[in-house]
Amino acid sequence: MAERLGDRAIRFPRPQTSARAIVSAVRAWPGVVDVVVARDTVAAYFDREPQIDPANIAALACANEPVEPVRDVELRVIYDGVDLEHVARATSLGARDIAKLHASATYVVEMMGFAPGFAYMSGLDERLQLPRRETPRERVPAGSLAIADAFTAIYPFESPGGWHIIGRVVGVRMFDARGPLLRLGDRVRFVS
Amino acid sequence: MSLHVVRAVGLCTVQDLGRRGHMHEAVPPGGALVPELLAIANRTANNPDPAPAIEVLGQLVVRAATDVLVAVDGVPRLLRAGEELTVSSGGRRCAYLAVRGGIATPRVLDGHGTLLCAELGAPLRAPESLAIGAAPETHATPPAFTDGTEIHVIAGPDHDAFAAGGLALLTSAPYRILPSSDRVGTRLAGAVIPRAPAYRDASRPMVRGAIEVPRDGQPIVLGPEHPTTGGYPIIAVIASADLGRFFSIALGKAMRFIASR
Repeated sequence: MAERLGDRAIRFPRPQTSARAIVSAVRAWPGVVDVVVARDTVAAYFDREPQIDPANIAALACANEPVEPVRDVELRVIYDGVDLEHVARATSLGARDIAKLHASATYVVEMMGFAPGFAYMSGLDERLQLPRRETPRERVPAGSLAIADAFTAIYPFESPGGWHIIGRVVGVRMFDARGPLLRLGDRVRFVS
Repeated sequence: MSLHVVRAVGLCTVQDLGRRGHMHEAVPPGGALVPELLAIANRTANNPDPAPAIEVLGQLVVRAATDVLVAVDGVPRLLRAGEELTVSSGGRRCAYLAVRGGIATPRVLDGHGTLLCAELGAPLRAPESLAIGAAPETHATPPAFTDGTEIHVIAGPDHDAFAAGGLALLTSAPYRILPSSDRVGTRLAGAVIPRAPAYRDASRPMVRGAIEVPRDGQPIVLGPEHPTTGGYPIIAVIASADLGRFFSIALGKAMRFIASR
């Protein structure tokens, strides 16, 4: 079930457990120094030749939630993104409806990847779900609020990006010397 | 106690052995491109292995403010106050300048090194003054480091992403290391690795040393600042024992992959 990802890491299918439960359980395995939870797969990184115990992996399906409660985070945003018009055309919704729909949901940080602090948040209304842009932009400004597929996210840093920009977050940095603003499991609401 | 940066060409950054325990926040470990060479420089300067030192991808000229023991890779040198020293990568992709006591940089997210993708620290720029730290004095023999261009890889895990014989192609002929390589990815030019027609890209966890293959079939080897997840399939991963050797091969040179059992 687990595959070798070189000689210091393994990869296995993501169990049907919350990402933060997976992270805290896997980090307790002997020799594990890091964990990455992606959409369908998980990787465990070791400081030695990985010891793969299939029972450990199987037990993740009923791993306990960490004791720290899930955090509720509210982010102030302005819906003025360069792709609003495109999203409006593709969804047959008006720009105001897009903002209203997007701000009416509560999102959950399902996984983190791509760039430090980049949080994939699930909970996006089906009417707003669009495939990524055919051609990624070379530069997306830091703080851009974006949607793609079933997720919404905020770009923590200026970077290339293929998501549809519908707005920007105001008043906060998504990543600084204390680490990421959003963490796995956070419940996030957007206020415009 | 400080060291003045007189000139910095290319990419010169403070590095240590990297950050652990933050990959689930999408923060890659970072750290020295070749940790073995960092350790050699540090031991030569009587520092502990993880002391922050300067990684030079290009050329760096520094001037000592006071007498100080430094090491460029495995070569020690007593730098007198006011004396200048030029450090160049050339024979290898990178060189390390260690200073007795280490470079004093704040510990941020469990590390002292510059991590460009997270905007932690910044490339060195002249004129700039670097404070020297107070790392304890150690006396350990520097480890041996053997240069080489034959790099062992462990196959997979994305076997289904490639047409049959993909790994044989990867290991059949030399690849050249392209100058466009950076600390995120080392770009290679050589035999094109064709994709299996049915394979669809999916975002998956990545690892340093992973050999990922974009649609154009030219492999990219992930370095210390790699994204923690990525969409390109991985044909093989460099064996941990050969990672430092791979990342020390000078840009423009040819190297060859060898399949491990």
